[in-house]
Amino acid sequence: MKIKIAHSTTYKYSSTVPRLVQCLKLYPSVCHNQEILEWETSSSSGKIVESHIDGLGHRVQNIFIKNFSGQHRITSKGILKTKDLSGIVKGLKEKVNPLCFLRDTDLTKPCEKIEKISNEAKKNNKNIIEFAHKLNLVVSNSINYVSGSTTISTSSKDALKQKKGVCQDFAHILISAARFNNLPARYINGFLLDEKNSGENTTHAWVEIFVNDLGWVAFDPSHKKCIDDKYIRISTGFDFEDASTIKGVKTNYNGDEFLDTKVDIENCQ
Amino acid sequence: MYNEVYKNSKVRKFYNQIYDWAKSLPENVVVKKKNEAENLFKKIGITFSVYNNFDSSERLIPFDMFPRIISSTEWKKIKKGVIQRALAINAFLNDIYNSGEIIKAKLIPANLIYKNPAYEVKMIGFKVPKKIYSPIIGSDIVRINENIFKVLEDNCRTPSGVSYMIENREIMMRMFPELFEKLKIETVENYPSYLLDVLKSLAPKKCNKEPKVVILTPGSLNSAYYEHSFLADLMGVELVQGTDLFVDESITYMKTTRGPEKVDIIYRRIDDQFIDPITFDSSSLIGIPGLFDSYKSGNVNICSAPGSGVADDKAIYSYIPEIIKFYLGEEPILENVKTWRCCEEEAKKYVLNNLNKLVVKEVHGSGGYGLLIGSKSSKKEIEIFKKKILSYPANYIAQPVLELSSVPIFDKKKLSPRHVDLRPFCLVGANKTKLVDGGLTRVALTQGSLVVNSSQGGGVKDTWVLNE
Amino acid sequence: MLSRTAENLFWSARYIERADSLARLLEVGYRISLIPNTERGYTNEWESILETSGTRNEYLKKHKTISKEKIIFYLLFESENSSSVKNCIKTARENIRMVRTAVTLEVWNAVNSSYHELDKNMRDTKSLLKELPEIIEWIKKQVNLIRGTILNTQLINDGYDFLILGTYFERADFTARIINVKYFILLPSINYVGGDIDNFQWSLMLRSISSFRAFKWAYGGQEISYTKIIDFLILNMTCPRSLIFSVEKINHHLGRLSKFYKQTSSSNKKIGLMYKNIKNLNADKITEIGLHEFLKSFIEEINFVYKKFEQKYFFGLET
Repeated sequence: MKIKIAHSTTYKYSSTVPRLVQCLKLYPSVCHNQEILEWETSSSSGKIVESHIDGLGHRVQNIFIKNFSGQHRITSKGILKTKDLSGIVKGLKEKVNPLCFLRDTDLTKPCEKIEKISNEAKKNNKNIIEFAHKLNLVVSNSINYVSGSTTISTSSKDALKQKKGVCQDFAHILISAARFNNLPARYINGFLLDEKNSGENTTHAWVEIFVNDLGWVAFDPSHKKCIDDKYIRISTGFDFEDASTIKGVKTNYNGDEFLDTKVDIENCQ
Repeated sequence: MYNEVYKNSKVRKFYNQIYDWAKSLPENVVVKKKNEAENLFKKIGITFSVYNNFDSSERLIPFDMFPRIISSTEWKKIKKGVIQRALAINAFLNDIYNSGEIIKAKLIPANLIYKNPAYEVKMIGFKVPKKIYSPIIGSDIVRINENIFKVLEDNCRTPSGVSYMIENREIMMRMFPELFEKLKIETVENYPSYLLDVLKSLAPKKCNKEPKVVILTPGSLNSAYYEHSFLADLMGVELVQGTDLFVDESITYMKTTRGPEKVDIIYRRIDDQFIDPITFDSSSLIGIPGLFDSYKSGNVNICSAPGSGVADDKAIYSYIPEIIKFYLGEEPILENVKTWRCCEEEAKKYVLNNLNKLVVKEVHGSGGYGLLIGSKSSKKEIEIFKKKILSYPANYIAQPVLELSSVPIFDKKKLSPRHVDLRPFCLVGANKTKLVDGGLTRVALTQGSLVVNSSQGGGVKDTWVLNE
Repeated sequence: MLSRTAENLFWSARYIERADSLARLLEVGYRISLIPNTERGYTNEWESILETSGTRNEYLKKHKTISKEKIIFYLLFESENSSSVKNCIKTARENIRMVRTAVTLEVWNAVNSSYHELDKNMRDTKSLLKELPEIIEWIKKQVNLIRGTILNTQLINDGYDFLILGTYFERADFTARIINVKYFILLPSINYVGGDIDNFQWSLMLRSISSFRAFKWAYGGQEISYTKIIDFLILNMTCPRSLIFSVEKINHHLGRLSKFYKQTSSSNKKIGLMYKNIKNLNADKITEIGLHEFLKSFIEEINFVYKKFEQKYFFGLET
């Protein structure tokens, strides 16, 4: 499938920002599931500086801005050709051992409810991949999808407690549950083309679980399935915070920051 | 336990002169000299007294005037052993952040590295300048008997105490110049220039001129601030704080009155998590935004490398002999202290059955936290630890109670033995290693005590390596 | 030199000067309080002193009423008052401590011991008034000691320039403010200008900047007059507390920095202009412009010079 994406993040500042440094991970992952036909990132102020390719395969870029006021927009856009590999992520260029993704983070610490979820998922499985599918299903049913119900600092425990959340929370719960069962798991940021409901064409988050013999398998607990050719993989990390596509720090700035994002995803078959 | 001065109630040959000298000092002279030493510390080591506290109460680490002597033969072995460990540790770090051969060879369990929070995922695959991760390693050494020195731990991040090594010598030379005429003692004053030399050899990829070195301190409230400023002073480099540095177009600069000046090598005395709020702890106020990406793009070097701490983890420590053999193809020159890893079934059994005789440590713990000294603990405390070990065996190791050797101190009227350890500071640069002939001797001032930490009543001594 | 080092040196000297100014201000208050309080013009003297120190609003937040003792304590020892003498010396010490190796041991010892001895000189509000002269003397002595060690032991390099600049930026600001306050706060109405109260207060003011005797020397035993005072405090190069003296010093040391670093900034140009203008002024011209207007624009201009200087050397932002 050929998918065209245009994504922009706009920052507005209430007063002059003396110094701003940003770190971007906005390039789609290089893997067999997706082929980059065109891709470019741009910034309305401050040029984009290439930094390095990190151990997880992210192409890391920076923006440095001095004495800035007004509006600052970061755009990434391009066209990808995707393949449905039944959820298995193949050909990733990464150097990180999967066992690293057994570590807990503040957003994904296990709790009693995680134990309950995993007990439920453990029944009658022939192998690990079956268990992983079951886990994805149980997690899918553990909370309700309610947009705007959580914040960027909501942990898996918090989301389970309030029984609702968004894709980020589904992902955190599945990660907690997988790691609790000694399966390496990680957070994925990306885009999802949802043709049935074009309003949901948006940035999305899901989970990869490492299964011996298969490698990383991508599950989307928000949609009770594995990923297919409608998913574009951008960045990964231990959790939402670690996987952020844009991180920035302003120095000596006391004003406000307003954020606006815009996404356009279309099937250009 | 081993007495370094006496052998069968006779004074060892190389201690003869010092012993006679110490014995010949009248009591009032000892008192006078002690005061003089303290005053000198306050004066020349002004940094000790004024920097590390808020109020004016001067916090000097007690200094004992009886020097600790190491013969040149003994030193040769220690030196070789310490260098060997430092090289092996750097080879190990380079391996686990790249191909992980030692794990593939099944010499170290994969979990121990990959699940370890000190193993920094963001460093994986990065080519550290000259493959040196930890250019300054301070190994704590204890002496067991005539021939055996054992390493208790290796400090690979930012070992401190080297300023005491230099100041102790300075004080002794000022107070007792005559002793230095009688005995040939190796000098330690080259340390700052060695350190600068080693750091300069670790210039980042994109540096093509004489590299600019700075020391990065968390600030004047840090307990080791005196040492940071002391080293900066003697090395002739700037002592900077996070706010003195900034990154622009991937290049790291310091703010000076002449304008921005490019920085090439940062000897950082702050922890990993505070280096860069973008990459690490976002709430850190002392970090430099963009520094980590500047580092990874080859524009600046950070020494020690982030993630070096995984090598001084207590669980990894127990594998150092294997690490030495694996990377250097040599037998370890200095022994490790016997360590039981509770993650191994046999060892766990032994530990649980012998808790009253052992010291149990948490793998990632430091500074005496999460520690059980069996012989000094109540039954209840032992029971609590037993449960802890059973619930998470991999988090614990156990060691026998150590036998530290002793050296006399001037105790009121007489000389009286106290337990000591030794921390030499090994420097590793590009194709070179440097180690000044000496180190920091820490001494437990309370009779019978084995705790040499300055926070718990420990003191320091000048350490003399003889040039025979 | 690191920007932070320059900044620390500058501010330590500036805070020392501020402590000195406060001590002198308190001295004025003390002297006024010794005079029988019969004339209308004196009733607010302590309030005016508070006003001059720039801490009136903060004081009133803490204390409901204007009380002599409370004001003295507030200006000397109050830890909540960031510009109390105690905090000035504390801040000066902290600034120097951070750049310990940029000053000599003598300078450090002078600042450090002043800080430690300060506690010994703390008094409660009750006995404060009685012992005020002693405390003021002690502060002035410490300040002179610190300044003496700076002049006698520091290398005359860029660090020295930053120290001296701290002193004179503060002094220029303080002198300008105290002359201004004299007219708009101390005097109840403009009719008093030239009267007995006026002359008495001018003499107090001269004392407060330690220039009473100097004035007498400079102008002979003549009576104090408005134009002489203006001439003395603003335009007389021999008076170390006159505005022209501070301007000349700032001009000189900014010039040295500019030569030293082989770079100029807009602060050089501006201070050069200020110096040229003030040299060509006389007391009559100032009266013509209006003293208040003159001082207001003087303070603004000095602040402008400081802002440019700060941006150039402390923040590393081009000017």
